[in-house]
Amino acid sequence: MKAVVRPLVATAVSMLFFVPLYVVCVNVLKQPEEISRSPASLPLPPTLANLRTVLGRPDRLFWVSLTNSVVITVSSIVVLTVLSAMLGHYLARSRARWTRWLTLLLLCGLMIPPQVILMPVVQILRLTHLMTTVPGLVLFNVGYYVPFGVFVFTGFVRSIPLELEESATMDGASRFQVFWRIVFPLLRPATASVLIFLGVWIWNDFLDPLIILGPSNGTTVTTGIYRSIGQYQANFGGMFALMFLATLPVLVLYLALQRHFVKGLTGGAVKG
Amino acid sequence: MGQGLLTGVSTDLATPVTTRPPPRHLPARRRHWPRVRHFAGFAGPGVLVYVCFVLAPILVSGWYSLTNYNPFNPPTRFTGLRNYRLLFTDAEFLTSLRVTTILTMIVVIVPNVLGLGIALLLDRRGWLYNALRSVFFIPVVLSSVVVSVIWTRLLDNDGLVNQSLRAVGVDNPPGWLSDPAYALYSVGAILSWQMLGLCVVVYLAGLQGVPAELHEAAEIDGAGPVRRFRAITWPLLAPALTINTVVLLISGFKVFDHIQVITHGGPGTGTTATLAYTVLQTGFVANRRGYASATAVVMLVIVATVSGIVLKVLQRREVEL
Repeated sequence: MKAVVRPLVATAVSMLFFVPLYVVCVNVLKQPEEISRSPASLPLPPTLANLRTVLGRPDRLFWVSLTNSVVITVSSIVVLTVLSAMLGHYLARSRARWTRWLTLLLLCGLMIPPQVILMPVVQILRLTHLMTTVPGLVLFNVGYYVPFGVFVFTGFVRSIPLELEESATMDGASRFQVFWRIVFPLLRPATASVLIFLGVWIWNDFLDPLIILGPSNGTTVTTGIYRSIGQYQANFGGMFALMFLATLPVLVLYLALQRHFVKGLTGGAVKG
Repeated sequence: MGQGLLTGVSTDLATPVTTRPPPRHLPARRRHWPRVRHFAGFAGPGVLVYVCFVLAPILVSGWYSLTNYNPFNPPTRFTGLRNYRLLFTDAEFLTSLRVTTILTMIVVIVPNVLGLGIALLLDRRGWLYNALRSVFFIPVVLSSVVVSVIWTRLLDNDGLVNQSLRAVGVDNPPGWLSDPAYALYSVGAILSWQMLGLCVVVYLAGLQGVPAELHEAAEIDGAGPVRRFRAITWPLLAPALTINTVVLLISGFKVFDHIQVITHGGPGTGTTATLAYTVLQTGFVANRRGYASATAVVMLVIVATVSGIVLKVLQRREVEL
């Protein structure tokens, strides 16, 4: 008896929780009039009309947004990984007192709301002619998310024995060589966490592209969805299709790398 | 003794930097050069970008908050603490403070409680429980814009929720997002739905760290399930509770996306306008950057103080196994 109750309750609760996502999935494949009539029914027969409309928009909103999001996300996380791995290594290995203050100062960045810095940032970007450009947004992302990278990497570097680095140094390797050839490959789990988490966060970012990128140079997927809410007021099939396509990359990444997500997230949840 | 020797050696070598200190007779500049180069090469770029886009902007915001800065209405004048004094009699600010407090409390409490319950439910091995755990985590990786649009549709006056309510005989279901009495709580519910998976996963990890022997021993001593939960599981989940609470607190405090997409601060005046939303409205729509900066500075002080206190309190009750 007891053995049946738990799986049943667990499944029921999860299904209730899943309803909103189920609604998106079935409505992507339905005609608009069917969506408002019976939002929860199965799409029988399914239609690809919604997806086709979104992909074939004359203003190429989806494709432009996708390209922007990919370029912004990939360049941000690559730069972030390189910079925060090196910075994290420097801080973890330094014994000077002032670097402890520097670490603390960087970690404070983890909780700073973007509202506190956006107004001056806009001014800085305008002065450097980077406002409303992709490089401007990437630079801001790097500054804003570097604390997270440093937080992950410093913790991980401390678990790597110093002797490895010392022996490489004695063999005549330069500091850069020691880092890139010996240390960085060992940091792979940390690198995976940083890439995955920052990738998802930056992909999903809404406020920063809304303010920094603006509408003139195309949108990211999130601001693209936001700006087309009005156009799809009457056509929810199109809206759902756009959201589905915009979410697909993250969802696939998540389903493929689930274990890393959980591991990265729960590093501190259990006292070892 | 051998061990002592080894640790002695390794601390000696732990000097981060070079192979060997440069000779004393060199001038100071040359002696410090390798260390400077190490800093510039490894830490420099990251620190530079952080300083330019986070630290310096905080200071500049502090300066803005003491002026009447408005990019479209020069000249900018130094006004001292005037903005701060105005804040504490400003109905819009006080409302947003209240809204933010309520929303943050919902976001801290609801996902924590439900997340613990669901984690206890899913704390078994097998493919079913793995799959269900993945389901709960999906909303965490979704963009808040997507989540907001989905729920706006579901909670619409004729959306799925109200259709279902009518189907079971509720004649006048409320306008979840259009009625000022419900809107804030609806937004809280949406946020809780999105954050729930995070708590589930963190609690599950915590539960896996609870040794089975403790439970067995307690069972032999005659402790029931409730007693065992209170005496064993709950204290050992303290680190998970700390993480969840602090993360939820910080994210609840800076909710902006959902408000911007779902309610635009309404219905009515400011019924769902959070601090984060008000700052951006004042700063980028009304362009009163000086005043908005003062609001943002107050926001930063509150979030730093509250999360600092909560972290201290929660960490104190974490026990060593």
